[in-house]
Amino acid sequence: MNIDYSKEAPVVAGRLSLAEIEELVAKPLDTKPDRKYFIALSIAVSALMIGAISLGLSFYWGLGLWGNNQPIGWAFDIVNFVFWVGIGHAGTLISAILFLLRQKWRTGIARFAEAMTIFAVICAGLFPAIHTGRPWLDGYLLPYPNQHSLWVNFTSPLLWDVFAVSTYFTVSLVFWYIGLIPDFATLRDRTNSKIKKTIYSIFSLGWRHSSRHWQHYEKAYMLLAGFATPLVLSVHTIVSFDFAVSILPGWHTTIFPPYFVAGAIFSGFAMVVTVLVFVRKVFNLENIITMDHLDKMNKVILATGMMVGYAYGMEFFIAWYSGVQAEQFVFVNRAFGPYAWAYWIMVSCNVIFPQLFWFRKFRRSIPVMMVIVILVNVGMWFERFVITVTSLHRDFLPSSWGYYVPTLYDFGLLIGSFGLFFTLVILFTKTLPVVSISEVKAVAEGAQPSHHGGVVNA
Amino acid sequence: MSENFDNKSSINNPDPNYWRSFKELYNDRDLLEKKFNEFENGVTDDFDPNTNLSGLSRRKFLALLGASAAFAGVACSDYRDKGEIVAYNIKPEEVTIGKPNYYASTCTGCNSNCGILIKTREGRPIKVDGNPEHPINQGKICAKGQANILNLYNPERIKSPLRKNYNIFSETNWQYVDDNIINVLSNATDKEIAIISNKINSPTTLKLLDEFKTVYPTSKFYFYELFNDSVRNSAWNKCYGEGTFPLIKWDEAEVILALESDFLGVDENRIENVRLFTQMRDVDAKKFNRLYVAEAGLSLTGMNADYRLKIRPENQLEFVLGLLTELNKKGVIKSSFNFNVNLFEFVKKFNLDEKRIKYLLEDLSEKKGKSIIYAGESLSEEVHIAVNLLNELLGNTNLYRKDIRKENLSGISDITEFEGLVEKIKNNKVAAIIHLNCNPVYHLPEDIGYKEAITKVEDVFTLSETMNETCQFSKYVLPINHNFESWGDYKVRTGTISLSQPVIMPIYNTRQLEAILLTWLKKSSQAYSDNIYHDYLKLNWQDNIYPKFSQSLNFDKFWYSALHNGFITFQEDVKSNFAFKNDSIKFDNVSVSNNSFTLLLKESYSLGDGRFANNGWLQELPHPVSKITWDNYAAVSLNTAKQLGVKENDLIEVSIENRKLRIPVFIQPGNADNTIVIELGYGRENSGVIATGVGFNANKLLSKKSNYSPWIYTNVKVVKAPGKYILASTQEHHNFDIPREQDLHFKRDIVVEGTVTQYLSNPNFLKDEHHKEHESVYKPFEYTEVKWGMSIDLNKCLGCGDCVVACNVENNVPVVGKDQVLKSREMQWLRIDRYYSGSPDDPKVSTQPMLCQHCDLAPCENVCPVVATTHSPDGLNQMTYNRCVGTRYCSNNCPYKVRRFNFYNFRDHFRNGYQENPVFALLNNPEVTVRSRGVMEKCTFCIQRISEARSEAIREGRKVRGSDVKTACQEACPTNAIKFGDINNPNEEFYHYRNHQLGYYSLAELNIKPNVTYIAKLRNIRTEES
Repeated sequence: MNIDYSKEAPVVAGRLSLAEIEELVAKPLDTKPDRKYFIALSIAVSALMIGAISLGLSFYWGLGLWGNNQPIGWAFDIVNFVFWVGIGHAGTLISAILFLLRQKWRTGIARFAEAMTIFAVICAGLFPAIHTGRPWLDGYLLPYPNQHSLWVNFTSPLLWDVFAVSTYFTVSLVFWYIGLIPDFATLRDRTNSKIKKTIYSIFSLGWRHSSRHWQHYEKAYMLLAGFATPLVLSVHTIVSFDFAVSILPGWHTTIFPPYFVAGAIFSGFAMVVTVLVFVRKVFNLENIITMDHLDKMNKVILATGMMVGYAYGMEFFIAWYSGVQAEQFVFVNRAFGPYAWAYWIMVSCNVIFPQLFWFRKFRRSIPVMMVIVILVNVGMWFERFVITVTSLHRDFLPSSWGYYVPTLYDFGLLIGSFGLFFTLVILFTKTLPVVSISEVKAVAEGAQPSHHGGVVNA
Repeated sequence: MSENFDNKSSINNPDPNYWRSFKELYNDRDLLEKKFNEFENGVTDDFDPNTNLSGLSRRKFLALLGASAAFAGVACSDYRDKGEIVAYNIKPEEVTIGKPNYYASTCTGCNSNCGILIKTREGRPIKVDGNPEHPINQGKICAKGQANILNLYNPERIKSPLRKNYNIFSETNWQYVDDNIINVLSNATDKEIAIISNKINSPTTLKLLDEFKTVYPTSKFYFYELFNDSVRNSAWNKCYGEGTFPLIKWDEAEVILALESDFLGVDENRIENVRLFTQMRDVDAKKFNRLYVAEAGLSLTGMNADYRLKIRPENQLEFVLGLLTELNKKGVIKSSFNFNVNLFEFVKKFNLDEKRIKYLLEDLSEKKGKSIIYAGESLSEEVHIAVNLLNELLGNTNLYRKDIRKENLSGISDITEFEGLVEKIKNNKVAAIIHLNCNPVYHLPEDIGYKEAITKVEDVFTLSETMNETCQFSKYVLPINHNFESWGDYKVRTGTISLSQPVIMPIYNTRQLEAILLTWLKKSSQAYSDNIYHDYLKLNWQDNIYPKFSQSLNFDKFWYSALHNGFITFQEDVKSNFAFKNDSIKFDNVSVSNNSFTLLLKESYSLGDGRFANNGWLQELPHPVSKITWDNYAAVSLNTAKQLGVKENDLIEVSIENRKLRIPVFIQPGNADNTIVIELGYGRENSGVIATGVGFNANKLLSKKSNYSPWIYTNVKVVKAPGKYILASTQEHHNFDIPREQDLHFKRDIVVEGTVTQYLSNPNFLKDEHHKEHESVYKPFEYTEVKWGMSIDLNKCLGCGDCVVACNVENNVPVVGKDQVLKSREMQWLRIDRYYSGSPDDPKVSTQPMLCQHCDLAPCENVCPVVATTHSPDGLNQMTYNRCVGTRYCSNNCPYKVRRFNFYNFRDHFRNGYQENPVFALLNNPEVTVRSRGVMEKCTFCIQRISEARSEAIREGRKVRGSDVKTACQEACPTNAIKFGDINNPNEEFYHYRNHQLGYYSLAELNIKPNVTYIAKLRNIRTEES
């Protein structure tokens, strides 16, 4: 193959004109949803309902409906929380960090990834709220002035979680919305429907595509990107503190913050690939979300997967090196104890299968990619399961060892969280442009000024 | 008034002068008048019922409407009459609100009849403790006695007399049943009135029964106990001609050999036994006994053995005679008997540890006269005779108590008498059967045919607190008072009579058992009065007991002081010197080799003979050895399980002749091969929502004729049965196969042990190897005043679990049920951890009570996001239930896993809200919050008692002292292993235990500075081994 490395490969394929891009992205918003859409939506909503019923019954009877016990105080509830927070990492990474690094390819996928971030954080935020024994008193976790003069405990990582996740959600939402403003304006200008026009007008905040607007917009976007970047790293760091700050062998580990962040990006990218593969097909966005995009994301998955693999190995090394009997036991027990099955699912899904991405052919093959990213999603869920449950089930005193078996309600809530996520995703595809129109236009061929005075690579 | 109308300037002339009509404009007089009177005429008139109702004023109408609505609302509301309530506007004498009263009484839970103190608050009993002055139990009381309070408030108690009509019980009244029964009894002139009871220890009740017989001369009494010492006593009789087996001076025994005897676990005298026994496990007095146990199933006693031998019951005789022969050979004893038993061949044949036998022989020779060989009640008469002989020859009769003997007032009837009764029923010679608070349908061996027989008797009367198997076959079921609602006297020892007095009015329409009999005796239902038995008892004491006291005290003073103390003691001469009769010595079949299975039926540790089966606290109390709750099971050894091809929870079928039982298997490390150990007391039918269907009724395997003893059966067939039955254990099954899981309790310094030899040669041997204190970057908090701490002496802790139940009662701990125990959600704040080390054939057992350690640097505290768990300035780790949202992070971060989470409202969840029954509100300790769903809880070091002591101290104008407080577990511990007090005060006794040479902290390496000190267990193994 003869590749000309002196020129950048085009970000948007198929030599789309600017109007075509706009047409393509806006099409789902202009057309009525079809039958397939409703089938997909009903599946997602059914899953959501399963979760809602499980949640309702859990509220009514108590957490006893779940499999949690003594010593396993946290199980699916916290596993799901960490899992969804992890999923929520790709979006901001793509939109903020890659933006600052001037990675133009991000434009095609940033909007969708950011949306997924917000939905994932909604799913994640749900679990800490419902996992408490008395969820109606969750307000106690907020530091609000009250007549009891009671304050929260700032030494508790759970409290840091409350701040970290809510900050992350707020910043992501604002960042997402700022990016949407020019697109709202575009949509406003396109539509003939009065209702839509009103709504788009409100949300476009009077955007008129003027140079001054663009100048302010670019500044604001840059600043928010700069603001969001540390959050990408901090959120999962703080989530990892939930474990690392404790004294439980298997949790009390200094490697957790970087390990959790790498794992989060790993799982987030896997989830984005999983969804994008469908989205680009269904909405004919193959030219905007190209194979190059997927290829690049798979490279990130490969890289972060190996970081995660390194962390797995390092944990074992440190456990041995520390000479702490209880810690050594926990790690050997993870690999060979009653939960060995979970451990080996985790290792094979997260470390072994992603190695296939060393091959360009596999990176660019949709079926192979689908299988691997779904395995990564499974593997990363199990990673959180392994960390949470296997550390708890056999800790210091052998007298209080136990075993955790999830109940139907645990699965119901897990399914429900997926239902919530996909319901939001499906609604999103029909209500907002899934690709940033303005940003893609900016990186389309011919959009950039060039000294040839015309099209690059013409 | 009229002047006002003209006064334009007042109310009627606003400015500008708007007007609505000319009348108004010109100030028409009528209009002005109307304006001046706010209400129309008649509106405000009083109601006059004589006039027409339409003359009712609007106000009156509204008032009446409101009143009638209010009356209707009140009348139709579901307000229920709560019965007799105590109004404190006129304060009853004795009762001070918020202050408990204690009454001395006697526990009738078993035949030990321990003295108890019942704590009552505002007139309701809430806790039972031992009576500290009582000579037998000295302030201690077992788990059953503690939990007895739950039986008092059991909502399923029979609430009024029941009459059976077409197999359905309906409530009736006392007069009706009394009249009918008196009629039946009076007409039974030629037919027998069979009266069946458990053993009776009450002199007054027995006198009453004697009188009963004079009134109804055809009466015949039958006494039985499912577990009894009849075999031991008959052996004694054969050896010594008279008397009963004596009490043992355990506190003087330096070497103990227990043969299939659980004298520390279930024996009747257990509370006294363990107290005396642990006086010889005293690290401070440096007194150590050595306990050898030879048994088939691992028992609580075996768990505490220094050396344990696995010997099947049918081989015990050969073992004892082997010892005798060997000691004779060595010249330690001089015996004319020669049984030709070679001990070392025996050892080889049964693959015993020869070293241990040698040690045993040496110890028995060295400690002649200071050792005791003690055979279990279930062993055969021959073994008991051999043991009596050996003790006699070794001079161990020194350890028999000479001053006091057991009393056996009613005795028990021979099994043949029950057979005779059945025969009489068949021949229609029985007019009526009266069951006095007993359950023979459940207890008697089925092959006696009692259950079938009583269906042929029309007039079966059962006096019982709750429904049971026997009630189902009765025409009338008469509800009787609970122990705490009753009067009574009990004599189980010479020289002591205990008294019981009611501490609460009967909660339901029940009568005291003796009062019912007295009514019948007087042949009139009208004869009953509330204090009929009280008067009878008092009179009996005046006539028969008071004269034994040659005191100047008048009877009333004597009586009240006896009631106050709960017992009286007096000088009573007992025959103490018995001559051994050598002619009793004759043994057949000494050497038995048996390849089939042997079945041992044992008393349940928590349920007794099944009497306490309807008690949730006891059902949920983990078995001291297996940690299984809510079930009995067939305990077998690992080899036997392999041989049968069964795993844990598989069902097996145990059959003896035509008697069969299917029961799940539990693999008990340390059991002898080919023996099956099953506990009785389970598998109850029609006995309340707690008891019914829990476990398996192994009484079905009992027979009137056994080839060994009533509780041990040889030649038992065992086969695997289809199916599984899951047993609920509070501890995971110990895995002996995986090396990395072995001995973790030692590797992690959870349990620290040493040997007596090590200790005697260097009392500081533990501290020497201990790591030095970690340094902290923070300045530690300074506890300047009292700081609470606990110490637990693992030498004295036998692992019985009495403390667990005491804690449950004191702290309102709910019962969660088997399904929740299976999910590891038991709520007990205090648990006894049991660890095995060694091999499954010969495990070494360590026990450790585990409760909140109240760490100075508590890991639970800093992770709670809402500050619901905090540290107090007196060193307590506290829970604020109101603030807890239930994240469970504290529990995850607790290395001891002592925190308990309310996954449900367990009171509501267990057995459809059984514990939400209003009567249980009376049971709860008012000083302790009843925790709601979703809240974390744990041991508080009995903070309510600390608070009480503190307010007492404030009242007395002094500072609170460590010795002011005793925790519930400490009070209950029959061996005084638990000590509680002030860590900071060097002048208190507790200071010594806190800073003991053998003291250690569990998981000390974590540096979380626990406030519970464990005193390391010393195993009294031989010097050459340690």
